Amino acid sequence: MPIDPGFWVLQTLNALQLSMLLFLLSVGLTVIFGLMHFVNLAHGSLYALGAYVAATVAGLAGFGAGVVVAPLAVATLGAALYFLLIRRMRRAGPMAQVLVTFGLIFVAMDVTRMFWGDLPMGISVPAWLNGQLDFLGIEYPAYRILIIVLGLITLAALTLVLTRTQVGAMIRAGVDNDQMAACLGINVERMFFIVFVVGCALAGLAGAIAAPVLAISPDMGLQILIPTLIVIVIGGLGSLKGAIAGSLIFGFVQTFGAVLAPSLASILIYALLAAVLVLRPAGLFPTKG
Amino acid sequence: MLDVSDIASGYGETQVLYGLSLKAEPGRVLAVLGRNGAGKSTTLKTIMGLLPLRGGTVSFEGRPISGRTPFDIARMGIAYVPETRDIFPSLTVKENLELAARRFPCPPGGWTMDRAIALFPRLGERLSNGGNELSGGEAQMLAIARALLMNPRLLILDEPTEGLAPIIVRLIHDKLAELKHQGLSMVLVEQNFGFATSLADDVVVVSKGQVVWRGTAAEIRADTEAQHKWLGV
Repeated sequence: MPIDPGFWVLQTLNALQLSMLLFLLSVGLTVIFGLMHFVNLAHGSLYALGAYVAATVAGLAGFGAGVVVAPLAVATLGAALYFLLIRRMRRAGPMAQVLVTFGLIFVAMDVTRMFWGDLPMGISVPAWLNGQLDFLGIEYPAYRILIIVLGLITLAALTLVLTRTQVGAMIRAGVDNDQMAACLGINVERMFFIVFVVGCALAGLAGAIAAPVLAISPDMGLQILIPTLIVIVIGGLGSLKGAIAGSLIFGFVQTFGAVLAPSLASILIYALLAAVLVLRPAGLFPTKG
Repeated sequence: MLDVSDIASGYGETQVLYGLSLKAEPGRVLAVLGRNGAGKSTTLKTIMGLLPLRGGTVSFEGRPISGRTPFDIARMGIAYVPETRDIFPSLTVKENLELAARRFPCPPGGWTMDRAIALFPRLGERLSNGGNELSGGEAQMLAIARALLMNPRLLILDEPTEGLAPIIVRLIHDKLAELKHQGLSMVLVEQNFGFATSLADDVVVVSKGQVVWRGTAAEIRADTEAQHKWLGV
């Protein structure tokens, strides 16, 4: 086993970076599920779309513009998706929802192929983010530090809104019991819409900031879907704490598994998932409702 | 005030209400009595828009509320205390109360947080507790206080005494009597005959999804035959 402290710092940063990307994706998906009992398997496709939009806009107007435009574009698409599909399928039952949103994944994949082609795209970051930072005695890419920082800021902001504000109390009440929330005069339908759109924007943001470190390809949405689902199942459907814990667990198990036990790495997270499902079927931090 | 006319409703394939009609008058308490499964809770859920109306009409203060969402119906001035109390477990007691208080304007002399806590001082000691850390009695007090903070014109309560210790039943009774005295209109679904008839002005008895008896509280107390036939008292 490596004893070099630099190794641990490096891998911890790698794990955090993966965790933060997964958090941005899973938090939207899990709160949407908790609130609306709606399974949106196309959530990963919104992430892929965010990456494509960011790459395209970055090519025209710079990296910063891409990171700003991508969440907005994905949120707009999410709003359209909500009115055209999600709202009509609220009471259609999980099987219909899963089939339709799974179908959407393939539609999204082919649409991205039509517009952007089959070849992976790249996106370059500004020079000031291109360098290495000296962090606790190791050299680490500045851009990856930025991903971690952005993720932590989003995490802190969401935690603050959800636990300390009236809007957060309304959302938690809706996750607990949407019918009773409506009986107290909360416009649950409008809240669903806003939460759905914000969740889409976060997926778009995740895609945009992941774009420079990953290859942007049509199937990136499908590839991220399974890890995201594992995160929310481990954490507990519908819970913010669950999304945080699940993302960190996935990030660290995956990263450290790959370097410490490469032969086990690919099954480690699935073994953990199975263990959670056996011991805590509702996840580590289930919602109380 | 509340006019329920010839309504049909139920769950999925199962129809529960078959042409049920009742009226709640302003400033009065209407008790809806009946055996388990008669359709009392179904009636309240249908009024609140939680179950779809399959026939008939419901109007509140002359305005139709049939087909409206629970959100609209709450906004129009009906507050609902469900049988299961439905305290939000992820929210503290204070947050549960604020949720209702912040959504509705408080008229002069209306219900404020302070007044709701004065009504149930126990809640004042529990403000920072989680909604999942309450006893049955405390949960019931919170459900009533939360409904009052909506400053409703009509309060509907589903079995407020269910599962509570006699001393708490007594307390809830006295508080509801106080509210009645202040002129609040109420519809009360109850299994507890003594509790209901001592609070109510008017009584309807429901059986198999229809109203089979109507009259005043004094009349049902005197009518032992109706009590025996419809309520098994």
